[in-house]
Formats: sequence, C-alpha cells, structure tokens
Amino acid sequence: MVRTLRKNALLVTALLLALVAAIGATGATFSWYDASHDETADFAKARDDALAAARQGVQNLNTLDHADFDAGMDLWLDSTTGDLHEQLEEGRDAFAEQVGQAESVTTAEVVSAAVTELDERAGRAGVIVAVRITVTLPDEEPDTKTSRMLGELTRTSEGWKISGLDQAPVG
Amino acid sequence: MSTSRPVTEPDVHDNGDDNDEGTGDVDAAADDGRPPSRRGRRRRRRGRLPSARIVVAALLALTLLAGVGLFVRAAQLEDSGATGNLALADADATDAVAGEVTDILRTVFSYTPETIEETERRAGELLAGPAAEEYSELMAEVRDLAADQQLTLTTTVVRAGVRDLTEDRAHLLVFLDQVAERAGEDPTTTAAQLSVTAQRGEDRWQVTEITSR
Repeated sequence: MVRTLRKNALLVTALLLALVAAIGATGATFSWYDASHDETADFAKARDDALAAARQGVQNLNTLDHADFDAGMDLWLDSTTGDLHEQLEEGRDAFAEQVGQAESVTTAEVVSAAVTELDERAGRAGVIVAVRITVTLPDEEPDTKTSRMLGELTRTSEGWKISGLDQAPVG
Repeated sequence: MSTSRPVTEPDVHDNGDDNDEGTGDVDAAADDGRPPSRRGRRRRRRGRLPSARIVVAALLALTLLAGVGLFVRAAQLEDSGATGNLALADADATDAVAGEVTDILRTVFSYTPETIEETERRAGELLAGPAAEEYSELMAEVRDLAADQQLTLTTTVVRAGVRDLTEDRAHLLVFLDQVAERAGEDPTTTAAQLSVTAQRGEDRWQVTEITSR
C-alpha cells in the first residue's frame, strides 16, 4: 500500500516535471521563433522597399520632357539624395539649356531589377536595373534601347532614395 | 529555414478524445457486480491509472497544440510574401544560386570550334525545361556557323542579382557581355541583360528559362 502510493507519487511527480518542461520548451520555441522571424521580416521589408524605390527612382531619372523641364527636374531631385542629389542641383541650369536646345522627350520603363546588396542597419542598398529608354527628338523616329544600370540607394527620413547611378560597364 | 512548410498537420482534438474514451472504459468495467473485496483492489489500481493517463494525455495534447500553433504561424507568415522570398535574407543560399547560375551561363555560352561539342554536352546537364529546348535549337544553327567562321564566343557575367528565391526556385536578373571573335575580323562585344529562372535539381541548380530583356 505504502509502496504503491510512493510509486504513484513518483510517477505523478515525474510526469508533472515533464509537463513543466514541455510548457517551458513550447514557450521558448515561440519566443525564439518570433524573435528570429521579426528580424527576417524587417530585412525582407527593407529589401522590398529598396527595390520599389529603385524601380521608381530609375524610371524617374530617365524621364524628362523639355516642355516640362522643371516638373521633371523636381522629380529627379525628389528621387535622389547625397552626392547625386547635389550634382543634379548644381547642374540644373546647364542641363535645362541642353535639353531645351535638343527639344528632347525621354521616357523610361523598368524591365527588371534586383537588389544585390543590403545593409539594413546602415541604410544602404545596391541594385541592378534593366531599363528601356526611349528618346524622341524633333523630326526623328523615337529611339529605344535597353540600358543596364548599377544603382546605390540610401535610406532617408523620407524612405529609400538613389544616391548613385551609373551604366554597367561593357567589356 | 524557419518558414518551411509543414508536411502534415497533426489533429490535436482526435488524439485527446481517444485518451478520454480510454479512461471512460475503465470506469464502465468496474460496475460488473463482482464481490466488494476484489472491486476495492481494482479501484485502488484504477486510482493511479487515470491520473497517469490524464497527465500523459495532457502532455500529448500540449505538445501537439504547440506543434500546430507553430505550423499555423509559419503558414500565416509565409502568406505575407516578403518573408517567403529568401533573396539576400538567406545570404549563403543567395550567393550559392547567383554563383551557380553565373557559372552555368558562362559555360553554356562560351565555346571555340574545338570545344563546342563539349559545351553542348555540359549544357545538357546544366540546362533543363524550355531553356534546354531553346538552347538545342540555337546550337543546331550555330554549330555549322561556328565551324565555318572559326567563331569563338566568350561570355562573362558582369552582374547577377537574385530577385526572388525559395528553396527550389530562383529568379535572377543577369547582365552579361559576349565577345565574339571570327577569323580575320575584329572581336565584337555585345551587352545583354537576361531574366533567368533556375530550379533546384537533386544536388545543384539548373537554368530552366532564359529571356532576353
């Protein structure tokens, strides 16, 4: 009788301990999962935000109508930050003259783009963008060609903006 | 990865019910009109059986509940899209597929008149699906031309970016340069930009679709 009781007590204690361990493990799993997943989700969101900004920014920077230069140029400035932004601001007047003389209309369509580097903490991203650019000059057929661009983005208080943009080198 | 899809979903409620019914059967068997003495002994033995069973059942139920909870949560997160895309988020996997696809494109689009057969043989392993079919058609045209013109094609990948990545599928944007050298002519360089789809085979990636953009 006494032995049975003790045995029972032991069994119940062991099972209770196992139960406590199981509950603890479950809680730990959840908190581990949440923590690691939040980080991944933040990173994924930053990547997707940077990509969306790159696509829109590259399209903006390859779109300009000589008849609506100021609006176009304002969009260029709005899409950029850092050195590139300053360069565009400094060159604005000279560029206005060139575009006015050429009477050019440029439109762009981003064909594909990918983020190649992302430093979420520093707020820096590298992108590659394939963009189809159509330049129309007076009395000429529109000329369309695809450009390969390498871009750098920087996160600002207003979101990701383009801080560098170049043609990918050939050869 | 933390977002991998569950293979099966255990059903907590069915398992819980089974255990409850088992306990109920023991109670029913007790009212069988046997002498009180034997019945008493039986009752004592029953006294520890249900408690152990209940604890075991509770443990099972909790463990299964936790499992289902995780599966449901993982499925919800997978639906959100952004986290289902491992591009850059899984740096090693991203580098691996970018590297392998770079090697594949460089290999299948580089040849000399002497190595073109070997290139085609290797392409048979590295390409699959529509990419493999289109490649065969292309090479059927190029084979004789390459011999006639003593054509050497050298492809280099300038940049490769992974747009979308799961465990067994990837979409990339690839910038590549192709230098064509023909006997008695200056080399010509062509810049290309390709949308590439790759699928994970048994132990490596294969390129299944190539679209010039």
